[in-house]
Amino acid sequence: MKTTYYSASMELSIPSELGYEVIARDAVAAFALRMGFTHERVEDLKTALSEACINAIEHGNMLAPNLRVNVACMCDNDRLLVEIHDQGLKHHTPAQMPLSMADKLAGLGSMRGMGLLLIGQLMDEAGFDPNSQDGNRFHLTLYRQHTVEHVPSQRTE
Amino acid sequence: MSNNKSETKPLEKIIELRLPSRLGYERVAMDTASSLARRMGFQGDRVDALKTAVSEAVTNAIEHGNQHDAAMKVVVLLTVRDDELIVSVADQGRQLLDQNNVTRTPHIEDILDKSDKGGWGIWLIRELVDEVEFTTAPTGGNQVRMVIHLER
Repeated sequence: MKTTYYSASMELSIPSELGYEVIARDAVAAFALRMGFTHERVEDLKTALSEACINAIEHGNMLAPNLRVNVACMCDNDRLLVEIHDQGLKHHTPAQMPLSMADKLAGLGSMRGMGLLLIGQLMDEAGFDPNSQDGNRFHLTLYRQHTVEHVPSQRTE
Repeated sequence: MSNNKSETKPLEKIIELRLPSRLGYERVAMDTASSLARRMGFQGDRVDALKTAVSEAVTNAIEHGNQHDAAMKVVVLLTVRDDELIVSVADQGRQLLDQNNVTRTPHIEDILDKSDKGGWGIWLIRELVDEVEFTTAPTGGNQVRMVIHLER
């Protein structure tokens, strides 16, 4: 019996060590493909998820080898939500005046710290949960009906 | 002072994957195990053998152990050691594996007579990995522990 509504979830936990983000990336990609997302969107998700996991390992868990990074995936008819949860030795504090990617490339600031900007470009929604009490919780969302940036058609009148 | 020798525990890293008991999710386990095995340096044919073994073990857990109840989880633990990869697949044991079935080689005539043509999984897993063990998990479910050795 098939139902039109379904929800599915998967959880993954990896050692907080650089390199293991690729395992998380491949597991989440397999999940997203199975949930019916296109290869193109899954490639974006892989990049965003890798960045988010590296942030969790490097910054949230401060490269402490005995900590874990947990990744939870939830999917329903509308969207795929991925939450990356670290153990929060260091809490994310948003920059007061974040530089744009163009500013950084123009040499106005550190070349690091582009991960969040990149993730924001690739995902429909992304951000930290400001209320998390137990480590940083960062989420990525892909909508099934994602809005393609509208290019205004030229008038021929 | 105790006379315990200080055990040198092998350096190991664990990846845990929790999947709903719905057919199709075995592919997520296959891809995760394959991604890890390739990065550990296993050759293509061994990675393929492992993928098939993981697929069989997870499918058994979904179909038999958890009886397709999507709310029940299949837990896949991937333990990385310097010289081997251990994959353990555990279900919640709604149906327990008959220990009489874990060692015998199926007869093709018997299986062809059955309507579902199933029954090859356990035999296949034994053929594909270096070590395998079928046990009951501490939580009461079925547990399959598969090991592949990294030859250098």
